Amino acid sequence: MTTRDADGNRGTGQEAEPGPPGRPLAAARQRKAGATPFAVGFSMTAWREQHLYGLFSSLGYLWRRRRSTLLTVCVMALALLLPLLLQVVLRNLEDFGDGLRDAREISVFLQPRLALAEVEAANSTISQAAGVVEVRMRTPADGLDELRALEGFEGAAALLDDNPLPHVLLVAPAAGLDDGGMRALAAQLGKLPGVDFVQFELAWRDRLGRVLAFARRMALIAGVLFALAALLVVGNTIRLDVAARSREISVVQLLGGTDGFVRRPFLYAGVWYGLGAGLLAVIVASVLIGFAREPTLALAADYARQFELRGVSATLAVAALAGGAMLGWLGAWAACTSWLARGRPR
Amino acid sequence: MIRFEHVAKSYASGQAALRDLTFSIAPGEMLFVTGHSGAGKSTLLRLIALEERATRGSITLGGTPLDKVRKRGVPALRRRLGMVFQDHRLLLDRTVFDNVALPLVIAGTPRAEIDGRVRAALDRVGLLERVRSQPLALSGGEQQRVGIARAIVAKPALILADEPTGNLDPQLSVEIFNLFGALSQTGTTILIASHDLHLIQRMRRRVLVLDHGALIDDYRPEPGR
Repeated sequence: MTTRDADGNRGTGQEAEPGPPGRPLAAARQRKAGATPFAVGFSMTAWREQHLYGLFSSLGYLWRRRRSTLLTVCVMALALLLPLLLQVVLRNLEDFGDGLRDAREISVFLQPRLALAEVEAANSTISQAAGVVEVRMRTPADGLDELRALEGFEGAAALLDDNPLPHVLLVAPAAGLDDGGMRALAAQLGKLPGVDFVQFELAWRDRLGRVLAFARRMALIAGVLFALAALLVVGNTIRLDVAARSREISVVQLLGGTDGFVRRPFLYAGVWYGLGAGLLAVIVASVLIGFAREPTLALAADYARQFELRGVSATLAVAALAGGAMLGWLGAWAACTSWLARGRPR
Repeated sequence: MIRFEHVAKSYASGQAALRDLTFSIAPGEMLFVTGHSGAGKSTLLRLIALEERATRGSITLGGTPLDKVRKRGVPALRRRLGMVFQDHRLLLDRTVFDNVALPLVIAGTPRAEIDGRVRAALDRVGLLERVRSQPLALSGGEQQRVGIARAIVAKPALILADEPTGNLDPQLSVEIFNLFGALSQTGTTILIASHDLHLIQRMRRRVLVLDHGALIDDYRPEPGR
């Protein structure tokens, strides 16, 4: 049979006949065309074209209803903002804890009235010990000056005939030294000749560590809860979008659109919502951190030797964007799949 | 092209929409299915498009038994059909071009190819100059012609039209039926469900007459009948 198609082109009349759907027919057509390798390229082209359609049609749809798009992005951004800020606060608290550790040195009290040569020998031995970064010496005169400077002790210091204070060596441990290492170093220093006793404080840092662990757990819980909220926001928005476009979906299905084809623009929309929300959350978090920078640094200066307030790092920003996009995709997928499942069978 | 063998369709309520239909349609044939409202015309088309499944009997389309087509195979089958609806079912927020291009987009046709094929289809239905118009800016007859252009753009071997002139005045209806007649000259099989007997008689094509779901007549009008 010789036919002409809608464009008036001549054909065999067989190539467009409905045959067994799916792979057997496609394979038969490929064999007819004698272009098996080309067939792979063709399906890739179709795949790419369909994705481009999904991508651009989703952008067009969001742009056409930009006010509600903006609202959705803002609500979702709020849900992402709190876990993001918690992460930034946690990282800064960890930095602050490290700063405290640097500031809190091991104080090595030498025996009172030790000869200066013995003091120098102890100083030299300790400076060369493993795990020691720096040793500063505080002489008995320095100690007395400090005592005099303390409010209420001026009179007491004046009553002393002789300076009873020992030399003290302030030992700065290596930054990477953990609690066990600190204890071992302190024990080692305590055994050195001329050393009276060693003092260092781990309890405070232990307490801070526990607070940080608690805060990390809370941040995780808050992150999960707010991620769920973001998921529901996107899911509900996409569900409403799908309902509003149900007529279009039904036309597309009647014309042979697969569930994947129907779903794709909504999945892209979910990703756009998530990316927009992630970006907005990063911007707002950066502004808020900038706003809090000055008072935070002033407060930290009282407790830590060196502390620099960290903002939203590039890694965290990428994580917020990727997380937002993933949540958007997931919410859209759930909403679409549920809708399509209810719409079947056709 | 199409073969119905003892096909019946009934619903869970017990209502029988089609009863024991047996007939064949040859490739390239244009024919009408008619009957009063509720006779089963639309159900018959929906069975071919796999919008519904037959309760009994078998339907073969291009050698494929439709009862063997699984749910995931339905879209692929529909992509090989052209469908025209009474209410056009155009996407009102898209241009004429976008509406006609939709079957090609669904099939993943390259963009470079889409433009030429859409224009050819619109030329075919005489609406090339309205390519950038919105559907609501068109008359009912023009909207239906856009629907037909959408049905033929993917070069289907079979076109199913469900009451395509149901919302049109008699003169426009004649125009639309003549358009289908011209399309059938190209070898496309066309099955039209219509209740407009007067118009059907004028077309002098094969007619299937349904009554309460049963095929009561299958004839080709002779001049003067």
